[in-house]
Amino acid sequence: MQLTGAQIIMECLLEQGVDTVFGYPGGAVLNIYDALYEYRNKINHIRTAHEQGAAHAADGYARSTGKTGVCIATSGPGATNLVTGIATAYMDSVPMVAITGNVSCDLLGLDSFQEVDITGITMPVTKHNYLVKNIEDLADTIRKAFLIAGTGRKGPVLVDIPKDVTAQKYEYTPQPPLPAPRGDFPWAERFEQALEMLRTSERPFIYTGGGVIAAEAYGELKKFAELLDAPVSSSLMCQGGYDQTGPRYIGMLGMHGTNTAALAIKNCDLLIAVGTRFSDRVLCNANLFARHCPIIQIEIDTAEFNKNIDVDLKMKGDAREILAHLNGMLSQRQHKLWMEEIAEWKALYPLVQESTSEEEVLPQEVLETLDRLTDSEAILVTEVGQHQMWTAQFYRFRTPRHFVSSGGLGTMGFGLGAAIGAQVANPGKRVINIAGDGSFHMNCNELSTAAQYNIPVIELVFNNQVLGMVRQWQKLFYGGRFSQTTLDRTTNYEMLAQAFGVKAFTISRRSEIEPVLKQALALREPVLINCHINPDVNVLPMVPAGGSVENPILEM
Amino acid sequence: MNHDNDKEYVLSVLARNNPGVLLRIAGLFSRRCYNILSIVAAQTENTEYSRILIVVSGDDRIVRQVDKQVSKLVDIKEVTVLNREEAVVREHLLLKVERNLQNSEKLVEIANVFHAGILNVQPDSMIMELTGDANTINSFIELYNPYNVLKILRTGAMAMMK
Repeated sequence: MQLTGAQIIMECLLEQGVDTVFGYPGGAVLNIYDALYEYRNKINHIRTAHEQGAAHAADGYARSTGKTGVCIATSGPGATNLVTGIATAYMDSVPMVAITGNVSCDLLGLDSFQEVDITGITMPVTKHNYLVKNIEDLADTIRKAFLIAGTGRKGPVLVDIPKDVTAQKYEYTPQPPLPAPRGDFPWAERFEQALEMLRTSERPFIYTGGGVIAAEAYGELKKFAELLDAPVSSSLMCQGGYDQTGPRYIGMLGMHGTNTAALAIKNCDLLIAVGTRFSDRVLCNANLFARHCPIIQIEIDTAEFNKNIDVDLKMKGDAREILAHLNGMLSQRQHKLWMEEIAEWKALYPLVQESTSEEEVLPQEVLETLDRLTDSEAILVTEVGQHQMWTAQFYRFRTPRHFVSSGGLGTMGFGLGAAIGAQVANPGKRVINIAGDGSFHMNCNELSTAAQYNIPVIELVFNNQVLGMVRQWQKLFYGGRFSQTTLDRTTNYEMLAQAFGVKAFTISRRSEIEPVLKQALALREPVLINCHINPDVNVLPMVPAGGSVENPILEM
Repeated sequence: MNHDNDKEYVLSVLARNNPGVLLRIAGLFSRRCYNILSIVAAQTENTEYSRILIVVSGDDRIVRQVDKQVSKLVDIKEVTVLNREEAVVREHLLLKVERNLQNSEKLVEIANVFHAGILNVQPDSMIMELTGDANTINSFIELYNPYNVLKILRTGAMAMMK
């Protein structure tokens, strides 16, 4: 059947099972938006306040569901506004397809109005990108974009389409989604080696990364941990990849990891790393990381082997398949003494922040109350900073895809857009964006999106009037010279929320924590909670720059 | 950054002949701080593919990482890392040197020793052409230096496994 390019885009999105897209209209995507109008009963479009919000929303949609998120922007500034969102998705391997319009083919390369070389700009931050200059390539390009975004190590793909291509007509033939190419699987000898290492280890330690969630390997991971009788730690990206209420879970590893995880890495005799790229935020000092034990790394991306750290056994492939295979080979192991030691450390070094006065609201108490009131089942999205770490430390994530956060790029302003995407994707769940007041100010315009579509996200702002994490570094390493980190903004959060059409609450005393959270959770509309906290509360433990992850600072 | 144990490696990359493929590769090198010593690209016998030869300097670990990062690009079909000892490596040189009645014979003599081609002779200059490995080309240039070399054009290395 003959369809316009814009209609072909819609049909291809439907082929891929896309039901929601996030975007912002403009001149170069007029035809695409006209088609969206035509397909409005099949494809839901959320218009954000800014294209960056659309990219983050597509990202939040993808992280909370495992499906590929889609965002649309017009040419030039519309396209460049997506870049931070695309880079965020790239650093955390999130499947995303970004569709941008461009000027007509005859105007390309002439510095035309709102023309920008978005494929050139996004090359370093996409898994791949395309400029579609011929209508006959359009459908296959979109299909390939989804295949690339959602297979192997996942990531964002950008498809740039000139305006005339969206207007031209071409024959469209429906096609089912392309089958994923068969991935690599380790040689049999590697499994034998792994098995030997697992069998002889007395103090094994499992460290998990975002790849566990991407590969949906949590079921096999749980089984593996039980068979091996080993403690489990995670990176920031693997919150919920393992049930954090269980006795095996010992908290995060890395710069703000628990002391138990630090002691485990110091004392273990085998480290099994699953789906992690050994980020510098985990290694801290690569030369001082896991010096006393061999490492097995299970990883889908070959380039991650021996990139940041050398490992002893590389197992390339899908984490779920590899763990399933190992589980089939491994007989039940017992490490009673090791697990007892771990339990002792856990009891000795709990994550604690205690408040003694009614006036001092502590993030730990807020997050623990939230955990209790939501039965650890809410989707928690975060911005970037101290509040992000407190969320990972104090909310007990039991299931995957319930923690949505910018780990790799560390994008302030990510959370509200991502929360909108996660809430649209999961209408039955409670979605709460945990923000700091610094991050909130970056993209608070998206409150208007939540209000307009009545997307019932809770925006919980930990308001300490400072850029807390940077300030904490200034305290430790710059002699308390608080250069530009004291915000003291005059923003009236409650009035700002109301101006956008969002209900607002305030927490300024401990006794207000539970009633306010209960009130907010009872509503089915967007809510902002302005939660005043002390600017001197620190994120602890903390490994100083260049320090060993084995020796975190526990008090400051 | 050069280290004592740095060696030169030639990456032979077979890439789909898609627009921007060279930019993707070069961009990857700059983004990851890998230094390109030379790069040569052209279509292969199959017009769907380009062969790109990249000379990099580094230790074995860096070169393996370069190999893996380049291999990951969607347009790349195959990457082979050639050690200089295992491959035939050739570069191409065009050299323009000042000519006069006194030195003309000498200039031709040097070219003959290297079996170099004389592409053009003007009253006041000559253009020579030479193909060879880097050492041969360096010696060739050195011998012409006293005669006032006017311009040098030198390609990067092309390489093929022995």
